Amino acid sequence: MRKKTFAAAALLAAATLTLSACGGQKADSSTVSAVSQESGGSGPATVLDQPWAKPGLVLTDTHGKKYDLRKETQGHPTLLYFGYTHCPDICPTTMSNIAVAAQKSLTPAQRADLRVVFVTTDPGRDTPAALGSWLKGIDPRFIGLTGDFKSVQAAARSVGISVEPTTKDKNGKLVSVHGTQVLAFSPKNNGGYVLISDSATVDDYIKDLPKIVQGAKP
Amino acid sequence: MNRRPLVLATALAGALALAGCSGSGSSDTSKAELSVSGTYMPQPVSADMAAGFLTITNKGGTKDELTKVSSTAAGQVTMHSTTDGEMREQSSFAIPAHGRLVFRSGGNHLMFEQLRQRPKQGQTVTLKLTFAKSGPLTVEMPVKSATYHPTTGN
Repeated sequence: MRKKTFAAAALLAAATLTLSACGGQKADSSTVSAVSQESGGSGPATVLDQPWAKPGLVLTDTHGKKYDLRKETQGHPTLLYFGYTHCPDICPTTMSNIAVAAQKSLTPAQRADLRVVFVTTDPGRDTPAALGSWLKGIDPRFIGLTGDFKSVQAAARSVGISVEPTTKDKNGKLVSVHGTQVLAFSPKNNGGYVLISDSATVDDYIKDLPKIVQGAKP
Repeated sequence: MNRRPLVLATALAGALALAGCSGSGSSDTSKAELSVSGTYMPQPVSADMAAGFLTITNKGGTKDELTKVSSTAAGQVTMHSTTDGEMREQSSFAIPAHGRLVFRSGGNHLMFEQLRQRPKQGQTVTLKLTFAKSGPLTVEMPVKSATYHPTTGN
């Protein structure tokens, strides 16, 4: 729902800017992103009133081993993201932002404690090996999970994130749908309590990660 | 003016642009006059795939259309829109009269595939943009850091 509001706000802003462009004013894309941020509250990170339960996902990691999300991340600050490696824009940017921000803003002990879990929504192409080599290019500590798409979709839905298999439309053009939010789980109670939108920059993560690894509100 | 209500955004933007221009410059039928700014490619994770962003500004009184993007650095460049979490490959993008076509992270983006090699920060990638009416433009796209964001510069 919130996502739709963002899109509507951005659309309206874009339309308004087109109008202003006719009047000779400069349309500025930064205004568009500012508007969509304002409608979401104070910034790209939203603290949830009701934390989500961590999905009970059991998938295959990049070493081909079984990975039980709840068991493996119990008591660790955890960032969960659903995406795919054949994604040029948001997926690598989000993962790179987290990697660089963790390097810059966390102590080595905090970095070792943090679990960043990338769950593929494209298991057909994202084999454990493919996922492993992609994540290695971003941060070798990140965990990549692949497996049955239905389980991934159900897990994503359980935390309010919508993902669909990539399809082709009638003209043979690719269409893919995936929620681009990062969900942060607290090390204190394992609840998913912060939702971070794809507008978060590396500077936003540098500011918020030190709080998130302690289970504090960003 | 833009009369193809293919998507809501086009229709809405078109209607507003029409309303905005009818008072003052409705008789402006000058040719599309295109320029490109704000180009960058975030350093990609691998040579499999990269994204690219730019803005095309049309100072003229006639709309145009971006119909093709190609690059010597990549086997294929495709154009995509993102609306409400749905990413969709497009065969063209409208550039309104006195308006802009914006490719930015989280929205429209160019997708480079089959890269000859992994582009590194500090390098540039050469693009050729083809339009429905105007002549083609060649632009140099700088490769920035993987976390680069135009508003912060980081």
